[in-house]
Amino acid sequence: MADTGPAIDVKGISYSYGETLAVDKVSFAVAPGEIFGLLGPNGAGKSTTVKMLTGQLRPSHGSIRVLGMDTAEDLAAIQARIGVCFEEKNLYTAMSGVENLRFFASLFGIKDLDTDGLLERVDLASRGSDRVAGYSKGMRQRLMMARALINQPDVLFLDEPTDGLDPVSARTIQGLIRQEAERGAAVVLTTHDMYEADTLSDRVAFINQGAILALDAPETLKLRHGQRSVRIRARRGADEIEELVIPLEEVDAADAVQRAVTELDLLTIHTEEATLEDVFVAYAGRGLNA
Amino acid sequence: MNRGVIAAIFRKDLVAFSRDRFYVFITILGLVAFVAMYWLLPSNVDETIRLGVYQSGLEDVLAPVTSANTAALEVTSFGAPEELTAAVSEGTGGIIAGISFPPDFADSVVAGDGVVELLVPADVPPEYLPLMEGLASQVAYFAAGERPPVDVATRTVVLGVDRVGDQVSLQEQMRPLLAFFVLLMETFALASLVSTEVQLRTVTAVLVTPARPRDFLAAKALLGTFLALIEVVLLMALIRGFVGDVPVLVVALVLGSVLVTGVGLLAGASGRDFMGVMFLSLALMIPLMIPAFGALFPGTAATWVKILPTYGLVEAIVGVTTRGESWAELGPVLVGLGLWCVALLALGTGILRRRVETL
Repeated sequence: MADTGPAIDVKGISYSYGETLAVDKVSFAVAPGEIFGLLGPNGAGKSTTVKMLTGQLRPSHGSIRVLGMDTAEDLAAIQARIGVCFEEKNLYTAMSGVENLRFFASLFGIKDLDTDGLLERVDLASRGSDRVAGYSKGMRQRLMMARALINQPDVLFLDEPTDGLDPVSARTIQGLIRQEAERGAAVVLTTHDMYEADTLSDRVAFINQGAILALDAPETLKLRHGQRSVRIRARRGADEIEELVIPLEEVDAADAVQRAVTELDLLTIHTEEATLEDVFVAYAGRGLNA
Repeated sequence: MNRGVIAAIFRKDLVAFSRDRFYVFITILGLVAFVAMYWLLPSNVDETIRLGVYQSGLEDVLAPVTSANTAALEVTSFGAPEELTAAVSEGTGGIIAGISFPPDFADSVVAGDGVVELLVPADVPPEYLPLMEGLASQVAYFAAGERPPVDVATRTVVLGVDRVGDQVSLQEQMRPLLAFFVLLMETFALASLVSTEVQLRTVTAVLVTPARPRDFLAAKALLGTFLALIEVVLLMALIRGFVGDVPVLVVALVLGSVLVTGVGLLAGASGRDFMGVMFLSLALMIPLMIPAFGALFPGTAATWVKILPTYGLVEAIVGVTTRGESWAELGPVLVGLGLWCVALLALGTGILRRRVETL
């Protein structure tokens, strides 16, 4: 059970719910220390893919190797080395934060868990002894994140980890994700927040209707499929406002911008670049929320 | 199976149970109520039949009857027919029926046309009528100065335990029912715990760790059995139920706890929400209660009652505590109960496993 090679290696996996094909021949690999964004609208097949990666579902076709082990054969050994943060806040609300962490630690056979340190990392040190029932949504999400880190996982699966959180909680979690990747953990980030995926991910895969449409670094995808431009708004006469969009791919783009700046009565000037949302639309023919 | 994981889930569930005010409330309330109910019920059976008699002019004739009061028959004389009627109507002094002999009974019976009134309240069982008719006939013979046409010598042979003077009290009859009610409450609690775990998907979080579904199921089955057994043992101790062959009783209670755990897992895995779980638990438990209610009434259980899963449990409790039976008599019903335990536990865990794996 060697750990050489990719942390996750997925080859042609498929899964159907009855007659409905949820995931169709999906393949990708994630390297140790890499943050891999799995993007797509609701029902695209993201969660089903993650369920197969974490051993909750068994693919009908294809193979999954996590940390060099096959999920069909070595699931227990794999699950001992992964951390999962679910979209649902599936915590034991009658128990305190510390009790939740200790319970899950005991499932991993960890007896000397540093709960204080873990809660400190998610800014919950002062509320650790409170019952989860009294936690806010952000606190629950941060505790879920702490739970996913109990066993210092080599692979971290995060399903919409910042969905609906306040900016402070979201930043705390994003910081943790980066720290974990720096530690060497492979991170699979499932989200439909394109901005978050763009800023956090080393590579992203667009998934729609169960299939991967594109897979690459966010910057590469944006350059490949989006259009960079400069949008200029200028005053013309007393009442009129003129708007210019100068695509930067054009040969004389620099001259055109220079001319506009010197000749026009400028109101605003913005650079515009393609977003991952634009790229997704280019591939899927629809937006994430369509 | 991973014993450490099972122990961890078991401990966690115990904490969850102890912190849920609803479970704790119904558990304590149930125990207190059932124990109180038991001790408030009559602990003995009054086997005496009390009859009232109006007997103007027949004092001498009736003297042998009225003076021969036994534990089984007590005859009280009244001075007027109205007094007798009132006493029978109101049940004064425990009188359940009356015999009113007319004032000219001695003459009329010699003439062959004496009419005796039997005063019987509507709720008196019909089997008392032949007894009263026999008494009236006997008095008639005495009044006529004749002996009965034949003297039949009888000999009583009691088959089984002779319970004359030691009838099964209502307290004892209620024992299996109370034990069953306690087990039923635990079915609700376990079903609700399981259902909450499924609905909140905390089970999903557990099953992406080294914990296997079999560990989860084993922990739930152990918890259900443990809670049910602790409570039913406590109840039996509080109602002085540990009499007779205690090991047989303990085995029956353990099997009963496993049985209701299977039902609890089944209801918990199938219910969509709290009300659904409650409804399912009750729907499954109603047929299972029938043998316990059946124990309240004398007679042999119908064949279809005997095939119900809880029949063995009730039969074992009744057999040990009231009939003094042991392994030899109760072995077959315990085996049947054990088979039902295996079947229901397998069904409950099977459905829960399926539910968990398809979340």
